[in-house]
Amino acid sequence: MEREHVLVTGGAGFVGGWIVKQLIEQHPEFKVTILDVEKRDSWRSSQAGIDFIQADVTNEAQVKSALETAKPSIVIHAAGLVPAGNDRYSPTQEVRDRVYNVNVNGTHHILNASKSVGVKCFIFTSSITIVSDDVDHIYPNVDETAATGNASLVYGYMKGIAEKIVLDTNSTDFLTCAIRPSVILGPGDYQLLPTIHRCIAKGETPFVIGSADNLYDFVYVSNVADAHFLAVENLLTTKTAAGEAFFISNGQPIPFRHFCLAVWADFGHVPKFQIWIPTSVAWFAGFCAEWATWLTGTEATLSRGSVKDYTQTAYTNLNKSREILGYQPRVGLSEGIRLSCEVRDSKPCKNIITAEIE
Amino acid sequence: MGKAAETLYYLFHPSELRAIIQWKVWHNPVHERNEAKETPEERKCFEFLDLTSRSFSAVIKELHPELLMPVCVFYLILRGLDTIEDDMTIDLAEKEPLLRNFDQILDKDGWSYDGNHIKEKDRGLLVEFHYVISQYKKLKPEYQKILKDITRRMGDGMAKYANNVEHIENGVQTIADYEEYCHHVAGLVGEGLTKLFVTADLANPTLLRRPELHESMGQFLQQVNIIRDIREDWEDKRRFYPKEIWSKYVDNFEELLDPDNKEKAMQCSSEMVLNALKRAPDCLFYLAGLRDQSIFNFCAIPQSMAIATLDVCFRTPNLFQRNVKISKGQACALMLESTQDLRTLCGAFRKFARKISKKNDPRDPNFLEISIACGKIEQFIESIFPSQQPGQPVQTAAQLTPEAQARADADAREARQDMIYMSIAVLATLFLVTVFMLGIAWMAGARFDLVLNSLREGKPFPPAGGVPSGKKIVGHGEL
Repeated sequence: MEREHVLVTGGAGFVGGWIVKQLIEQHPEFKVTILDVEKRDSWRSSQAGIDFIQADVTNEAQVKSALETAKPSIVIHAAGLVPAGNDRYSPTQEVRDRVYNVNVNGTHHILNASKSVGVKCFIFTSSITIVSDDVDHIYPNVDETAATGNASLVYGYMKGIAEKIVLDTNSTDFLTCAIRPSVILGPGDYQLLPTIHRCIAKGETPFVIGSADNLYDFVYVSNVADAHFLAVENLLTTKTAAGEAFFISNGQPIPFRHFCLAVWADFGHVPKFQIWIPTSVAWFAGFCAEWATWLTGTEATLSRGSVKDYTQTAYTNLNKSREILGYQPRVGLSEGIRLSCEVRDSKPCKNIITAEIE
Repeated sequence: MGKAAETLYYLFHPSELRAIIQWKVWHNPVHERNEAKETPEERKCFEFLDLTSRSFSAVIKELHPELLMPVCVFYLILRGLDTIEDDMTIDLAEKEPLLRNFDQILDKDGWSYDGNHIKEKDRGLLVEFHYVISQYKKLKPEYQKILKDITRRMGDGMAKYANNVEHIENGVQTIADYEEYCHHVAGLVGEGLTKLFVTADLANPTLLRRPELHESMGQFLQQVNIIRDIREDWEDKRRFYPKEIWSKYVDNFEELLDPDNKEKAMQCSSEMVLNALKRAPDCLFYLAGLRDQSIFNFCAIPQSMAIATLDVCFRTPNLFQRNVKISKGQACALMLESTQDLRTLCGAFRKFARKISKKNDPRDPNFLEISIACGKIEQFIESIFPSQQPGQPVQTAAQLTPEAQARADADAREARQDMIYMSIAVLATLFLVTVFMLGIAWMAGARFDLVLNSLREGKPFPPAGGVPSGKKIVGHGEL
């Protein structure tokens, strides 16, 4: 049998990097190539013997030549732009354009180039946000039958467009599949845990917004990588996952507030008291904070968008992933939080406000 | 609670008082015993039931007629076994064969036993056990078989524990031992009852193909009892908290009961609560398989009481100092919620899962796992009863076909036009009414000219004294 060659886009980033790391551990028989816009220390130091192609997914010509050089048989498209903070809730036109360019045009370029060089399987790293970024509605125990395209935030909306393009391209000689992880945590994550960790220094931990019993789903990054390989294995064998999307999470929904408390507790911090703020008051305060942000040009934790994120209910039903992919989270949430916080303990978390390439 | 304290309590908890009244006044049993048709032996069995059980007798007596006697006899047999096992004055050499052969006793007409200590509270049941045996023999053979099988296995289990010096002197060691113990005293009951329900065609046969479900029903109840009774059991020199759990928090079991170790003791009870909570989704799954209202009530009431008891035991330092329990008002409210349908019961489970989750403390080493266990209960409920709240989208733009979109646009246009016509009609009507009123006022003699004049002079209010001139009011000629 010919040796499979996997190209991982965004392979120097958080999720892509984990996919590469696990791929060489679990599938030493595969040849692996990384396509990323920039090299990161993380992969250069630990993962020798892997080809690296520097290319910008927004540049069609670069992508085309990169794939023609590599000629992979499998593509895992994990590159994407995740806007954070204000860019997530109230992006400027410039940010919107960038998100569109990377997440939609970029996907289009990779997809077309893959198809033209004869790639067999194409796995797209999608996101739960293509459903749950519709922040005015709740999504308890949501499954893959839920409608997409209602996302009101830019990230979920754009990811939704990209996923549709990928799944619509599925055909017998070009199999595609989408993995939709919930909120991802793990070593190397520069958004979720740092944001929660920063609340300790800012003295924001005592504030509880709303009833705080809204359940939220999380997933440890290595479980996300596992799901990608299960999808690859499926497309190489039974092909039952072709053209399908799958929610992936740890299957352990907990109140968002409890997730924060668990992270803070791991850093040795427990709020001394709690102040309960009704959602409507918090929303108004967020509205005021947004004006303050606009005036002073600084970043506040609070905004109407973050209040809605904080009080939303969004967790997934994993039945389809379990049945078709045989997915089972291998790292539980407690262990996942511990592993993620360990790394942060030794390295003080960076204050990254602007969006980065994943 | 004293009478005065009780009165004070219900003064401040009117909703609980309401629940008591509602339960006492408006609860109608699904099936009522027909006492007139009962034989004296049957009546005797129900008397024993009332004497030996406070909590179960009411629900058993409301059971479907098909299962009324089988369950009653089942309960009395198990109670008889329990009375022999509990009595520490019976010599082991006598006790062990009694326990092991109790299933054969069921075939011995007229068997009775008076070896219990005179103070043993259910002694009377064994003294007149022949009533139970005679009723057992009148049951359908398939029911007899089920009862006999469970009696044999439970008797064996009890004999094993009675013999086990380790278990008596050092208490339960591992979590596996603990669950095995719960299996013998409660899991088997769950199995027997499930077989009765399915044989009577009053429950989904799937319940027998998934034995972990009825096992969880028994485990959940028994584990909650063990958690709640820690103090009482310790005073009776019995320890059911497994060493595998308590040794993580304290070195000696007695330290749990020392108020100075409050925090450690609570963390230990949290792990016990966590272990029980994990069974809750299975219990709801089981209840979904019952087909008869009376059986549902019979199974659901103890379950909802159990999760409410878990809530009062969770993070309560008092647990190790005195007996904690739910109030009578709460119990009545729970019985009301447990005797309707699965959805209402699930509502109660969700309520208590959230209450437990709210009390959860991040300093507790089991914090995250308890949160996850509560989340799983809620997710399970969501999976059988998806919430249809105003917050959820019903139909979305993405699902609309072009034709449907066109129709929706046309509808919106029509609605807008309707709105305009409506407004015009309303305004026209108002105008007409105004004109009529003014006309009638004028005909009745209203002096609009005076009003207009005074308005022109800049006096919007009539001068004091009402009529502006000294003249008599005159109409427009005689009408």
